Amino acid sequence: MPTQTQNPLREGLTARAMPDPCSLVIFGATGDLTHRKLVPALYNLAADGALPPAINVLGFARRDKTDEAFRQELEEASRKFSRQSINDELWASFGANIGYHRSEFDNAAGYASLAKRLDELDATRGTRGNRLFYLAAAPDQFEVILDNLRASGLSTPKEGTWSRVIVEKPFGTDLPSARKLNDLVQHAFDESQTYRIDHYLGKETAQNIMVLRFANALFEAMWNARYIDHIQITASEPLGVEGRAGYYDKSGALRDMVQNHLLQLLCLTAMEPPAGLDADSIRDEKVKVLRSLRPLAGDDVFKHVVRAQYGAGAIDGKRVAAYRDELNVNPESETETYVALEVNVDNWRWAGVPFFVRVGKRLPKGGTEIAVHFKSVPPVLFRATGETIDDNVLVIRIQPDEGISLRMSAKMPGASLRIEPVKMDFHYGTSFGKATPEAYERLLLDAMSGDPTLFARRDEVEEAWKFVDSIHAAWKTRNDDLAFYSSGTWGPSQADDLIKRHGATWRRL
Amino acid sequence: METAFEPGLPVEIGRIEKELGKLWESSGDTKTRASLINLVVYTEDPGSTSADTALISAIAGKHACRAILIIANPRAKESVAKAWINAHCHMAGKGRQICSEQITFRLDGDSAAALPNIVFSHLDSDLPLCLWWKHDFPEPLDEKLWGWVDRVIYDSASWKNPAHQFALVRHISSREGNGIVLCDLNWTRLFPWRYALAGMFDHSAALPCLPEIGKLSIAAPPSGRTAALLIAGWFANRLNWQLASDGRSFTSAQGRRIAFEIESGAGAGILESVRLECGKASFELKLTEDAEFFESTMRIPGIPEAHQLSPAPQGRLEETLLRELSRAGRHALYTKSLDTVLQLVAR
Repeated sequence: MPTQTQNPLREGLTARAMPDPCSLVIFGATGDLTHRKLVPALYNLAADGALPPAINVLGFARRDKTDEAFRQELEEASRKFSRQSINDELWASFGANIGYHRSEFDNAAGYASLAKRLDELDATRGTRGNRLFYLAAAPDQFEVILDNLRASGLSTPKEGTWSRVIVEKPFGTDLPSARKLNDLVQHAFDESQTYRIDHYLGKETAQNIMVLRFANALFEAMWNARYIDHIQITASEPLGVEGRAGYYDKSGALRDMVQNHLLQLLCLTAMEPPAGLDADSIRDEKVKVLRSLRPLAGDDVFKHVVRAQYGAGAIDGKRVAAYRDELNVNPESETETYVALEVNVDNWRWAGVPFFVRVGKRLPKGGTEIAVHFKSVPPVLFRATGETIDDNVLVIRIQPDEGISLRMSAKMPGASLRIEPVKMDFHYGTSFGKATPEAYERLLLDAMSGDPTLFARRDEVEEAWKFVDSIHAAWKTRNDDLAFYSSGTWGPSQADDLIKRHGATWRRL
Repeated sequence: METAFEPGLPVEIGRIEKELGKLWESSGDTKTRASLINLVVYTEDPGSTSADTALISAIAGKHACRAILIIANPRAKESVAKAWINAHCHMAGKGRQICSEQITFRLDGDSAAALPNIVFSHLDSDLPLCLWWKHDFPEPLDEKLWGWVDRVIYDSASWKNPAHQFALVRHISSREGNGIVLCDLNWTRLFPWRYALAGMFDHSAALPCLPEIGKLSIAAPPSGRTAALLIAGWFANRLNWQLASDGRSFTSAQGRRIAFEIESGAGAGILESVRLECGKASFELKLTEDAEFFESTMRIPGIPEAHQLSPAPQGRLEETLLRELSRAGRHALYTKSLDTVLQLVAR
């Protein structure tokens, strides 16, 4: 009888196959990410019945802690941060899978005892030797963790099992460091075992960009330079640096947001239809977009990129300090908290269509969106009426209030011809009602199931750094281009001038 | 018949659209009308109007629709046709409300024959038509009405004569050029069971046990008998089993006999447990005593026994309907399983 490789009972159930039993080891398990995102996401997966029948979650960190104390901490955090409320009985069942492994990251003996403990768990709990390592520690610890995972043999799967690693951003701080990190990762894990997480890609609306484009003939037919005037991609937040000043002051908005999240959104917006829905077909197309980005270097950077830093101002009616007055920020810092770029994708589809990308902190409102501005109609028919006709704009809201809206022109009722813009609005929350899963839920499940579609591939990351690095290199040659904006405003006037040259204005969020 | 409950504002049938328009005009900018589907609910139980309206309101909060509730009494001597309009509004943040419309009709006597016209003339155009038929299916079916329906929702758990009704469903599904999607709420309620059962065999050590199944035991209360048959039909379809001539066992494609039994339980759910025996391995999925959780147990030689607890849906009507309305596409497996179910139900 032939061996059965697919589960016939799974057909028609719409949900994906359940991942194989596995052990998830989180490095840096006492940090915020584990408490706020990872464990609540795992609990939600358990509550949805999406976790495999056997799973171990093992925290690996330096602090002294018992399994029980770790579990209790995570329970408290999950009660606070979980999307679904915590059911005591279910938590008891899920929490029993959680353990804590204390070790310094550079202590080889800690990895040897980890390997032993995982083997014991495999034997007693049936996790079958499958391992998922999550690097949630500080990036400067990645090297030592990866070296030790390789040296201890943990990165090498035994026959019939798998071993994977999830790497949290930042994937380096520039191209050389990204290459170094990628080399380090690949010294221990090959590319097929590596999952670089960009949580924006786990958001439902980001995933919906492909459906919107390729499942609707209406949009895809017009998705090119013939009909589109320009595209705006915005990520704004009212928050300042909060507790991240140490990291942020070295990074800045360009590296923190543009290199990963915003270029990923740009890729999904600009890419050609992939040959299939498999991970590599999609990622191949995204890489093609990154390779088509017109490089910004030298004087071009100062024509096409605006960097700025927030000064004092007001957010939600409260006074807030200037960036340079924030705790742990260098008082003479030149770090940008806002950046606006005009990006061109040099291929046939997008010839002459600029992508205006902006990201900033301490802006009046939080939101991430992609706005596709269509070309104007010829000013022929309605010229005599003196009416101004607004262009059509298709807005894909990534967060919050995920949805899609389309602005178009309509005649106002009455004897005279008056044209006004109207908006067709689709809200995920209103139409589908149910709460969408958190990005980390989807991504953790994907990594357990071996689906890398929503994770960044090595070449994607490196191409994105190549584009961003040349901008940084130009910034280093001058220090007179840093603009300032008051907190609670929409950025510096130079950014308005940047888009005005194209005859456009930034969208009001 | 007398309906004590007034499901909204009474209106003349010919003025329904105008009165709805007025309703929205008077609500100002704070209310937004939304609709993704036409949900037509057909009932012959006048006593359920209040509960049906409450259910529509709950559904509209999650799944914006134009709801048309039809309370028919074709056996009434006097011919009466009355209508009411109503709106269900739900807060959507920032002081905005999202509203769905409900139009309620009472059709007595000869007026009940006007059902197709009533439905056709009050649909929100271009939106799919979901017809929730809360009664036994009539015979013959009105082809004009049924030809317009995109999804028909019904509950085989409520049928008094499942053999006859399943045969009618089979007829609906086999009509030429048929585009209608069959949505049996009894099948929808079984989704978590099927999902959890399938999940057990995603485990790579469990998958090889599937062709080795020698016994299928289902425990169900009397009200869950058709649900038990649907689960058996599903297994038979997915694993290519044929019902044996004794009507009490199946035969696999390899000629293996699979014993099949339905044990009578006294629990509250549709099913109490499903147990599969595969040589020395066994798989059991059962509801905990409080019916709050599924408890799955896998015993496979050579690996540790695995127990898992996961929340079991409570099977409330609102929850089941929302699950049904939230999914797209056909229930292809349901249709495929119908042949076996028809054989089983006729035993």
